[in-house]
Amino acid sequence: MKRYLFVLASLLLLAAPLSAHHSTAMYEMANPTTISGTVKRFEWTNPHAFIYLDVKDDKGAFVEWEIELMSLNHLRSYGWIRTTVKPGDQITCTGGRAKSGAPSMISALLKLPDGRELKS
Amino acid sequence: MTARPLAIIAVLAASTIGGTHSHEDTNATKTHEASLYREFFVGLRVLRGFVANAQAQQTAAAAPAQATPGESPYRIAGRLPVRIMDLKVEPATIQPGQSVTLTWATENPTSVTIDPLGRVAPRGQQKLTPSITTTYTLSVTGASNSSDKRSVTVVVQGTTPRAAPSDAIAKPVKTVPRTADGHPDLSGVFGYGAGGRGGPPPSPGALPTTPVLKPGAEKFKVARAADDTGQYSSCMPPGIPQSFLVPYYIQIVQAPKHVVIAHEYLNLHRIVPTDGRPHPPDPDPTWMGNAVGRWEGDTLVVDSIGYNDKTEINGYRHTEALHVVERFSRPDASTLQYEATIEDPNVFAGPWVVRRTFPLLPEYDSINEFVCENNRDYKPLFGNK
Repeated sequence: MKRYLFVLASLLLLAAPLSAHHSTAMYEMANPTTISGTVKRFEWTNPHAFIYLDVKDDKGAFVEWEIELMSLNHLRSYGWIRTTVKPGDQITCTGGRAKSGAPSMISALLKLPDGRELKS
Repeated sequence: MTARPLAIIAVLAASTIGGTHSHEDTNATKTHEASLYREFFVGLRVLRGFVANAQAQQTAAAAPAQATPGESPYRIAGRLPVRIMDLKVEPATIQPGQSVTLTWATENPTSVTIDPLGRVAPRGQQKLTPSITTTYTLSVTGASNSSDKRSVTVVVQGTTPRAAPSDAIAKPVKTVPRTADGHPDLSGVFGYGAGGRGGPPPSPGALPTTPVLKPGAEKFKVARAADDTGQYSSCMPPGIPQSFLVPYYIQIVQAPKHVVIAHEYLNLHRIVPTDGRPHPPDPDPTWMGNAVGRWEGDTLVVDSIGYNDKTEINGYRHTEALHVVERFSRPDASTLQYEATIEDPNVFAGPWVVRRTFPLLPEYDSINEFVCENNRDYKPLFGNK
């Protein structure tokens, strides 16, 4: 029975996001956003890593997006290192956009230039 | 799905529950409880799906993560399949007595093992001196039953390969290690705690796991504004026992007269004397309290007072009269059992407990550095909604 409960608990892994340092209430998590752009800067820092992304808007102008990722221990457990993302990389991020409408989001998964998808 | 990866996933999953709710305990609402129960039953249906069509799941694991409209991006990310990025050994051929460097890298894993070394971190490098020709096999498991495997061989000239490499796997230690003075050795790095709302129900007669407020103490229940991202956003210490309820590793270092309990989150630590000394009289109120330890049989009992009133415990504030008694034990070689009994006569009608079970992580020597150097003010991101 105990093991059965463990099995059920394991399934919650698929259902429940892993919060790290703060709630995600300021992001639109129920309506995911996917954006692509060129990495300007990657901050490999706690309590969260950040990517600054040059994204072309509807009129062709570049807008700098701030992409929040998990904290370093979580990223390491997904296989990240500090050079996983580099300036100049074309990447795609999927996550929740800031409710304020600012060019800011938290990314849950990220597609690297070679197409690999990583938890973020 | 085999028992081993299943167990690992279960531990991670249970820890996820603990970790998630630890953030949301502060505004623990019935809605959140209901949502967890809903997810529980969704999980049950998914389980039936697994059993009914394991083959289909295997195929799905190889496909890229696809989103369904309105789905949380973390659920999508939770389906990303595991993969091996690198496994190499340099040099590949040596003379007896020479060393090689084994390097490996994986992505999106839930468990990583190298036969015959045992559990390892998702990425790493290890210097090895095999005495005979040896094949190293990297095995990973990940979400949606995905898995991968790769091998490299070190040829030790003039030797014959090991007949059955898996016989040489570093088997997990079965018995609880003990220190020279006979106490169980609690030392080790431990993963996220399990057993929050996902844990078993308390036994009859056990202390409650949710507090009862004394009359007039309702103001100590935390109510958060919609744009308050919680007690952790400020990077202030969570205190005890809350430092055990966050999704970060902990490390215990046991010495004859002290036990050091260190938390990766904010790199907080306590150096707990176990030589029988009492608390100092009237200790200054601090974030992590004044702790003294003693052994009761095979259980380390840590008694602490001297807390400030700035921390929260599972959604409740407290006063400087907080008194916490923690019990640490190793029910088996791979588990740390934790129980904290919480008392504050100004707030709670009686004592209550928080329990967690932490898995030993033999693949790590120490917790990581954690400094909140890049913390943010998230209020502007809420906008005016």
